[in-house]
Amino acid sequence: MLQPMLNLKPETPSGATPKATPHLLPCRVHHNGSVEPNQSFWDPKVGEDGISTAYFRGRKLQGKTVELPDGCRGVVAAVSAAEEPSRRPEEADVIDLEADTPQATLQVQAEFDEMVVWGHEAAVDASADPYMRGVEEWMALAEKIHSYAAPTSKEK
Amino acid sequence: MARTRSKGAAGTAAASADKKVAKPCASVYTLPAESDNPPKLFILPKTASRSARIVTLQHPRYSRPTRYLVCPEAGFFEFTQICPPKSAPRSWLIQPAANDDNNNGKPPLDTQVTQSPALHVATPFDPLFLLLPALCATTTPSAGKRMFLSADDHLDALPDPSRHLAEILASWPATRALIETRLAAVCDVVQAGDENMYRVSEAKLLGEVLRKARRMVEEEEGSGTGGGLPPSMEERFVRRELEAPVLGVRVARGRDGNVARTVAGEEPDGSGGGNGSSTPGEESAESQSSVSSVETTASSASAVSAVSTAATSVADDDGVGGGEVASAMKAPEEVVKLQRLRVAFNFVCSSYVAPAMAQMLQESLAKATGQVDFKPLDEYLARLANMRQEAAAARSADFSRKRTMDEEEDERVEKRRKKEAEEKAKKANMSRGVKELMKVNTSGMKKMSDFFKKKT
Repeated sequence: MLQPMLNLKPETPSGATPKATPHLLPCRVHHNGSVEPNQSFWDPKVGEDGISTAYFRGRKLQGKTVELPDGCRGVVAAVSAAEEPSRRPEEADVIDLEADTPQATLQVQAEFDEMVVWGHEAAVDASADPYMRGVEEWMALAEKIHSYAAPTSKEK
Repeated sequence: MARTRSKGAAGTAAASADKKVAKPCASVYTLPAESDNPPKLFILPKTASRSARIVTLQHPRYSRPTRYLVCPEAGFFEFTQICPPKSAPRSWLIQPAANDDNNNGKPPLDTQVTQSPALHVATPFDPLFLLLPALCATTTPSAGKRMFLSADDHLDALPDPSRHLAEILASWPATRALIETRLAAVCDVVQAGDENMYRVSEAKLLGEVLRKARRMVEEEEGSGTGGGLPPSMEERFVRRELEAPVLGVRVARGRDGNVARTVAGEEPDGSGGGNGSSTPGEESAESQSSVSSVETTASSASAVSAVSTAATSVADDDGVGGGEVASAMKAPEEVVKLQRLRVAFNFVCSSYVAPAMAQMLQESLAKATGQVDFKPLDEYLARLANMRQEAAAARSADFSRKRTMDEEEDERVEKRRKKEAEEKAKKANMSRGVKELMKVNTSGMKKMSDFFKKKT
């Protein structure tokens, strides 16, 4: 039942994480995993008004691109199984503490800094869509709620 | 199934006709095996360093284990999962960027589908809230004798189901220092030896939460929204709450018995809430005309009620209002600001503070008139409640007769609908063969049972 503590781990040690664009389709796809090759069914085109258009299984979809706010990055990541602490010699000093805490890794597979929210036939309404509101409104509001006087903590 | 497939293939062929897809046949590609560990989508702060961990801590409000991102440098972040309602199914399609040259032209990542539409957003989180349950525990049993306790004792009192908090506090001194700073922000501190002892101070806690609420409603320069709350919150909790009811329903009967009635429950024109001090010209003209039309149809004009706030002011200015004009209220700027502050305060309380403590905070906020005085708002709300009640009473009086008839009608319609539904269900259960056989003329045929009779 206990959830493991997760380590964020980039794809490659050099830090060159591949970029990706997540598309939020207006339908549920009962599949997880790779759908290559995608050229045959997914070919979005960006219109001049910023609304992209794609045809997915014969349906016209219109997508709005949502830029992530400054200061955050999007990450596509999967939880991989717990790994042996001995494989990380640089953290040898905390191993005894972590002995009974399950550890796992959140493997970063790709990064993104914008996502596309698709609607069927029409672009989604920014004021009603939970994703757009979540990214735009909630992040700004949370910043305000949870700000606190930082300087004192930095001095220590 | 077969039908949809052929349709889909036709659609994609049309979409990418120029790319020359080999055949519009679905069997060209085989779908790779489903992965049992689909990737999730996160939005993480850039400030979080490599050593940041995702840990499970007790949520201060709901007392459930909740995921947080903790970084020794950037502090705490909470995860909010954005999930659309069931009625709007969604899924992710993750497409790698096409222009990666360093991978020998081969995209480093497959295009993937993730069925779950969840998006996990990490937003900054004040660790102060995490500490509240421990402080609350020392508050509730006997408010009279609250003890000064060391930071360790406070932290030990915190429920920590997966021991993650203890672990990060032990391994990261910076996080520990941060926690102690936040603890000091809401506590009276005394020095005992070389250790600080903390005791929660209600006044300080109230000040801290109020400061957060003030920050939430702070107006950002350049944004013309009038108030720092996000638009959907402003609309739902500030504008709607303060909106005067539209009393356009009051009936004005003329001598000839015709009834002039404006639509009940109509929203007042756009400029409610925030910046309603200036009335746009066309709006006033429009509402004026609606008032005058009411006047003409109801020739005697025994009772004309306010149509909307704008209409009232126009009516007063021009002296058109012959009858008694109910004062539809317009919230003054001060009241709107207070309402915003209260919404913000309640939001903080109801999201991050345990119910018992939230109640205590709200009570002490009501008492702390020195810091902020909600009296104008309360008075306004009381008047508004009165007005709503009256409006409701007027409306129910108007429609009472009609409603009884409606109910009878409804019953009849309901019965008919039920009958139809039953018939439909019966038909749906029948097989096609049976249905078609029902049409056969069986008048000249032997009955089935004849064959099973004893031969005479």
